[in-house]
Amino acid sequence: MNRTFLLQQVLNGLAIGSVYAIFALGYTLIFSVLRIINFTHGAIFTIGAYATYALTGSQFGINGLLAGAALPFRLPFVLALLGGSIVAALAGVIVERLAFRPLRARGADPLLTLVSSLGVAVALVNITQYLFGAEPYSYPDPLQGLPSAVNFGTAAAPVLVRTVQVVIFGVSMVMLVLLTYLMNATRTGKALRAVAEDMTTSSLLGIDTDRLILLTFVISGFLGGVTGTLIGLSVGVAGPYFGIAFGLKGLAVIVLGGLGDIPGAVVGGLIIGLAEAFVPAQYIAYREAVPFALLFVVLLVRPQGLLGRAQVQKV
Amino acid sequence: MASFLATYDFLLVSMVLAAVLALTLYLPLMAGQLSVASPGFYALGGYIAAIMSTRIFPPGPGLYPVSLVLLEMAVAAVVSGVLGLAVGVPALRLRGIFLALATIAFVQILGVVALNLDVTGGAIGIFGIPQPFSSAIQYMWLAVPLLVVSMLFVARLERTRTGRALVALREDELAAAAMGINPTYHKVLAFTTSAVLAGAVGAVSAHFINTWNSRQGTFDTSVNLMAFVLVGGSRTFVGPVVGGLVLTALPEALRGIAGVDVLPAWLAAFLRDGRLIIFGILIAIGTVFFPHGLITPGLLRRLGRRGARPG
Repeated sequence: MNRTFLLQQVLNGLAIGSVYAIFALGYTLIFSVLRIINFTHGAIFTIGAYATYALTGSQFGINGLLAGAALPFRLPFVLALLGGSIVAALAGVIVERLAFRPLRARGADPLLTLVSSLGVAVALVNITQYLFGAEPYSYPDPLQGLPSAVNFGTAAAPVLVRTVQVVIFGVSMVMLVLLTYLMNATRTGKALRAVAEDMTTSSLLGIDTDRLILLTFVISGFLGGVTGTLIGLSVGVAGPYFGIAFGLKGLAVIVLGGLGDIPGAVVGGLIIGLAEAFVPAQYIAYREAVPFALLFVVLLVRPQGLLGRAQVQKV
Repeated sequence: MASFLATYDFLLVSMVLAAVLALTLYLPLMAGQLSVASPGFYALGGYIAAIMSTRIFPPGPGLYPVSLVLLEMAVAAVVSGVLGLAVGVPALRLRGIFLALATIAFVQILGVVALNLDVTGGAIGIFGIPQPFSSAIQYMWLAVPLLVVSMLFVARLERTRTGRALVALREDELAAAAMGINPTYHKVLAFTTSAVLAGAVGAVSAHFINTWNSRQGTFDTSVNLMAFVLVGGSRTFVGPVVGGLVLTALPEALRGIAGVDVLPAWLAAFLRDGRLIIFGILIAIGTVFFPHGLITPGLLRRLGRRGARPG
């Protein structure tokens, strides 16, 4: 394994890992506040990817209720990404109202909430399929006119980074910086952290917990929508179910980092991205199993995650 | 009756097999453990039957012997049980969400392995699995006894010391442990029993479906099983059985309703193509309004009293 190859794989791993990280942050934010895993996150990822596709003014295919339909306008890709993510954030609000609030109101078992969110996820993905069909879509190339890859090495020993990798890494970093700023430097962020620490106490201190929970779902949905579009830009939108598969992979990221731990989700995303990049070429077919193998091992060895603290069970 | 059986033969057998699979999710849930590993063991059992019947036993003239199917079921059950024990002992130290996640990972890993091994036929899978019966409905000879035996087993289990220990673990693990119930032993027991049963169902299903590939026993199956148990009822074995039977028939019933002329065309089309949407909404509504499912022990007692009353 020479140095160029090593560098190349590290860059590939960081690019995809940064997307895993911001996707997983969507799970983490909700888990840190509600102690539940929001299985609809993968479905919201799908919705974001499809909404962006629609907003670019592209036409939908031959199957589904809206076959051949297209919006009468076309937005530039950056605005479509923003708009698609806002649609995803709204989907997050609907999910919170329909699947989470009723169960929270009656203090239901977290496992029941997990199953309920799975039900909503199945419904959302199939509504997407019902409307837009199951065929794959790809965005009209927003990077036209740019070189398809940038060479960070020399001509003799090339280290090629696809332009789209630069874009997804850049957008992910912007998201990460914005989220860090929101959480650590604003009053809202402080309130969010207080609710995550202790919901009852923060409610007694005059924090509107219901509003903050809703805000958490908005941010989480927005992050899900951004990731859906970025992955769609990188490898195409492979039908409504690709969000479910990606969503399961995101679970591996949050467990690796420690459930509900924000820096942990970022570290977990990067580790999984790098681990996938370093799967040897002859075992490439097994790459999809790598996140789950890591998830399984981490759960058995260190259930609190790499950065998490062990929880002591109180009686 | 004969034409009904002929039209719905495939559906009826699928319903019975689904009911048995629903019981495999119910068993660990008796102890409060949400494990979605059984689709993995189901897939494994199917592969064992498919490989044994297409590679090991030479194809003879006429129908495939039922005795060999029974042998495959036994092998599938034993192998699934051993794997269940190997996975269960470390995994069942986890609880709640962590166990659910670990079992999701287990199913995903098995799926990727099945997709890539030569012996499982890769992406194409194994096809042309020999048929022990001349018509689909005759699979009832295998499916119904399997369902009856597993129902009797679970019904009996609910009334034994072990079954009560599982329920105690579900209600409060710490308190149960303090009273001398070994949590890990009982959870692994429930998990392994579920694996054995799922493996056996897989072996029958492989023959029944005639082809087996990595799309069998995936996360989708896990979601279906959860719907069977949580909509049907998670506090008595009758719930998962009824859930499996009814929810498997539901798409066909919806298709039937869609065929009625009175309905507007868009509604008919939705009932035909949108059944998974309805399925998802049912899971969500079920968990919100009926946290213990539609069939609860209380309901069964009321029905029992009404039946016993004269007149």
